[in-house]
Amino acid sequence: MQDNVKPSTYGGLSKQLLMSRGAQRYQRLGTLAGRSILTIIASSSLIALLFIFYFIIRDAIPFFRIEGFKEFFTSTRWYPSREEAEFGALSIFVGSGLVTLGAIVVAVPLGVLAALCLSDILPFSLRQVAKPVIEMLAAIPSVVYGFFALVVFAPLMQERGGGLLSVGAWLILAPLAVIAVVVLSDVTTTRFSQRARVPGRIGLGITFGGLIAFGLVQLTHFLSGLSIISGTNALNTSVILGIMALPTVVSVSEDALNAVGRELREGSYALGATRAETLLRVVVPAARSGILAAVILGVMRAVGETMVVWMASGNASKIPSPWFNYLEPIRTLTATIAGDMGEADHVTGSARYHVLFAMALSLLAFAFISNLVSELIVRRARKVGG
Amino acid sequence: MELQTRKMLDRSFSVIGIIAIVLMAISLLILLGPIFVKGMGAFVFRSTIEHRELMLDKFGRGDRAEIEAEMSAATQARKPVYDIIEEFERELTEKGSGYRRQYRQDFKELKVLVRELLGPFPNQRQPVLIRDQYGQTRWDRATVKLHHILNVEEYDYSDPSQMGVKVLLPRVERFRGTSLEPLFAIFERDAKEMLRPRLTFYMRFLSDESYDAHFFGGIWPELLGTFYLALGAMLFAVPLGIIAAIYLAEYAGESRFVSILRTCISSLAGVPSIVFGLFGLAFFINTMHVSPSKSVLAGSLTLALLVLPTVIRASEEAIHAVPITYKEGSMSLGASKWRTVVTVILPAALPGILTSIIISLGRAAGETAPIIFTAAVSVGKPIALWQTISQPTPALPWNIYNLATEHEAVDEIRHVQYGMVLTLVVLVLLLNMTAIIVRARISKKLRG
Repeated sequence: MQDNVKPSTYGGLSKQLLMSRGAQRYQRLGTLAGRSILTIIASSSLIALLFIFYFIIRDAIPFFRIEGFKEFFTSTRWYPSREEAEFGALSIFVGSGLVTLGAIVVAVPLGVLAALCLSDILPFSLRQVAKPVIEMLAAIPSVVYGFFALVVFAPLMQERGGGLLSVGAWLILAPLAVIAVVVLSDVTTTRFSQRARVPGRIGLGITFGGLIAFGLVQLTHFLSGLSIISGTNALNTSVILGIMALPTVVSVSEDALNAVGRELREGSYALGATRAETLLRVVVPAARSGILAAVILGVMRAVGETMVVWMASGNASKIPSPWFNYLEPIRTLTATIAGDMGEADHVTGSARYHVLFAMALSLLAFAFISNLVSELIVRRARKVGG
Repeated sequence: MELQTRKMLDRSFSVIGIIAIVLMAISLLILLGPIFVKGMGAFVFRSTIEHRELMLDKFGRGDRAEIEAEMSAATQARKPVYDIIEEFERELTEKGSGYRRQYRQDFKELKVLVRELLGPFPNQRQPVLIRDQYGQTRWDRATVKLHHILNVEEYDYSDPSQMGVKVLLPRVERFRGTSLEPLFAIFERDAKEMLRPRLTFYMRFLSDESYDAHFFGGIWPELLGTFYLALGAMLFAVPLGIIAAIYLAEYAGESRFVSILRTCISSLAGVPSIVFGLFGLAFFINTMHVSPSKSVLAGSLTLALLVLPTVIRASEEAIHAVPITYKEGSMSLGASKWRTVVTVILPAALPGILTSIIISLGRAAGETAPIIFTAAVSVGKPIALWQTISQPTPALPWNIYNLATEHEAVDEIRHVQYGMVLTLVVLVLLLNMTAIIVRARISKKLRG
């Protein structure tokens, strides 16, 4: 080791702390090497994502080259195993869309309400109880949800579908109806004179209440008359998928609601708004981008889910008629990939095999774009929020 | 609006919010209730003498002398049944072809049912399939079979405007006036003596191999396969994930590259699990040839990619949660950055990282879609550790799907399906519970 620092200048002790030029270069190289190795390992997820895209696209291209785009996206004729194979996946796309829509209808109102409740309404101790419930819902494997949907929920639906539907309708609509009656009777009596107001409100309340109750009874009557041919249908899948997407929606929108500062809430309270008014008119609008991101993540969860839809959707590749008939079986992209690969596996190289990669590519592209959009929304919201 | 109304609306809004939370709790209960109740049926049930005989034959369990004594008592109770059947067979040959034609179909059906309930006839050759060598091993299944013996289910189509209505007819009506008639009364009276049900705790359900495609035995191959797959996934994901987290938390800063990297991590987390499965098939098996076909190794690698984002994110969070004073203290003592990370920050962040590992372990254990094409088979023996690099394995999530949809006798092995589901759920929830407890400890410690 070459010693080019005079000991007299630095003193005996600090001498050891300084390194020779060679050692310094050595260390710098070492640091550089270490850093680049670290960077490479840290980019493993980037590399993985690139590889996933590359390999899915590589196996999807042959399909589009042989069959073209038009049939795949516009035809509903899905007969992959025929002699004259047809690969019209429109009904499968529609199926995926339908269950996702259904799942969102279940998950978003419930999830956002639960998030509001967790962030603003419940006291701290109860929040600590509610959180594990959500975490457990998120932790339960999807195949367990699928098993429940197939073995418990589907037979129940098939045997007493009408009754189940009416109970569900009452559970959801009755509380809403009560609130609607109160608001309606209140709003309509604002123009009444002071003296007529109270009796007017009671009278109108009874009238509206009667009307809505009549409507509900009619609806229940209609619903309980329905007979459900197969318990494995789009409704079953949507409900279960919605419950599965709930934890995502709740936790992401709760984060968004918590990110809205105390100042906004306090300002609103100071103006005399009640808690519900503060939440609905101030906090939710302020957190809307975060809530939107939560919805997008929920959609991604529902679209990408495999086991539940494979077990509980009925796997019939046709568009329900009319399209909103959720009591018919449908088929989704993920279930098609999972179900058909077993048969297409040993014919690697055929259109039958590559069409599944084309579907996977559509899923992948959708998930990737949704993710980018949600990140963009969150990032922009953060910028606006300061 | 009036103040009163506004107050009421406020309150009802709170109530609706709480209803939303309660609905979530209820749906969790509705989901877990049947799974727990029926899942326990795989472990605790009333076993028949057939079960004890099977245990003795296949696993060498139980007291041979005692079981044989019990079996001879059961044989005694069954003797009248076989005697009557034999007599009826004689009657059929005696009374000519018209008589035979009249009863042949019904009699054949009855004999199949009796064999399913009590096992092969005494004079019969030992059947090939194990499921035919024994009668009903569970009393709950036996009562179902008994019900089928005593009653015929028919559909009444007399009203053409409606679907067929199920009606039960006593089977004895079909054999009125023949020598077979007393058989049904005997069955009704002596079924318990023939099968001798007794409450059994079958905890070895977890550690027994399955016999004859899950008709008998336990779920050890599936459980073991799940352990291999989940631990294997962690083996790859944890080192990668922790190093990536260290890089992101301590070295990365705020460059463009890092922001792209973060986007990639969240995109990877959003990739549908079935796409991971296809990728695993196309890359690890068809391109890299890590194994000739499906294997635990390929499945673990695929699962590792799936849980990687979770590990990275949670570990990064844990590293960020370490108070900056720790780092400053170490740096001021002259430790290099890397040394600070390894000896000070990582140990302090370890419980948090552990939490992320535990949660990812649960996730990897429960994922089905990625292992369908890369690792899972429906039937198989438990494999040894060194076979994991080349052999596929049964695994709990895949076999739950498989037994619930593709098994030849889905209804007869419900208890096995529920037992598997319960095992998987308990496994995953225990892991999550541990994670929650660890996290609560950390937050208490950080709060002081």
